[in-house]
Amino acid sequence: MDNSTPEKWVTDLGVINYQEAYTLQQQISLAKTEGDLTPDVILVLEHPPVFTLGKRGGTENLRVPPAFLKEKGIPVIPTKRGGNITYHGPGQIVLYPIVDISRANIGIADFVNTLEETMIRTCQTFGVNAARNPKNHGIWVANNKIGSIGLSVKHGVCHHGLALNVNLDLTPFSWINPCGLQGVGMTSMAQDLGNPPMTTTVKTHLLDNLSHVTGFSFKTVTPEQLKKAL
Amino acid sequence: MKEINELNLPDDIKYTDDHEWVKKDGEILTIGITDYAQDQLGEIVFVEVPEAGDSFDQGDEFGTVESVKAVSEMYMPIAGEVVEVNEALEDGPELVNTSCYDQGWIMKIKPQNPSDFEALLDKAAYLDTLRG
Repeated sequence: MDNSTPEKWVTDLGVINYQEAYTLQQQISLAKTEGDLTPDVILVLEHPPVFTLGKRGGTENLRVPPAFLKEKGIPVIPTKRGGNITYHGPGQIVLYPIVDISRANIGIADFVNTLEETMIRTCQTFGVNAARNPKNHGIWVANNKIGSIGLSVKHGVCHHGLALNVNLDLTPFSWINPCGLQGVGMTSMAQDLGNPPMTTTVKTHLLDNLSHVTGFSFKTVTPEQLKKAL
Repeated sequence: MKEINELNLPDDIKYTDDHEWVKKDGEILTIGITDYAQDQLGEIVFVEVPEAGDSFDQGDEFGTVESVKAVSEMYMPIAGEVVEVNEALEDGPELVNTSCYDQGWIMKIKPQNPSDFEALLDKAAYLDTLRG
């Protein structure tokens, strides 16, 4: 068995449709489990407005009729990740680490912790006092949630990931019970700071912090190079 | 996380490299996830099991375990038909953490080819996969 540490590729997909990014995650995950792709891949992106459900659903946590969302043009997509319903939209940074955590001998609970720590450090870099909360996983500023996590693991390779609210319209969160929790508010770095940092700046810090927390060193790979490798 | 030498890996059962264990009892095989797997997962909050009567090929996903914010798939060690699932996991998913080889068993199957059992990993071979 090859014990060398696989390369860690980072690919910035910009703003990308949920389904398109999901298909890409599945392709990468499959290529890795079948041995056709050795590097771990971290996708960084933003989604156009979309609600996603967890493996165990979450439609019961929709607070508006489906017709209302249809009128707004926001799809509701079932997924197989952990966690419950959530919202993604432009101004929220999403990180999908498609990492063979089994090969890296990282436990799943530890990896969830790692992603939380990455978000906490990134918030703190910009003066946002974020922390864990015994109420629920994810990252909180007082009683408002700023960052969420949901993972799925196939043959030791994880996909899905984390979402950090930087500067987005939080209104759609009021149409759901985020993560299935009632009476919980959502916040963003923009809401907390008033004068928000650029999303691209936060992206850079998020990746730097992930690198520090995990010890991974990243190699930037364009979307074209990534697709060619699949 | 446990070190490899801290893991509880019974001698009288077989293993897979996807971290399931298989115990033979006459014609019937009992399946669960190993101490290594439950330790890696952390606190288990939900176990999705198949239904009695379902049939799967070797390697098929037959269910999932959900731990804190993560859903992990479980894979069929050998082809067969599900004859019983552990109903206690519905209200007690934590049994997989506290008693993975006993009260936290997942399901019982009738194998398509009983001899497939012998081809599964023994403890030493499973330990080798963990050591990489």
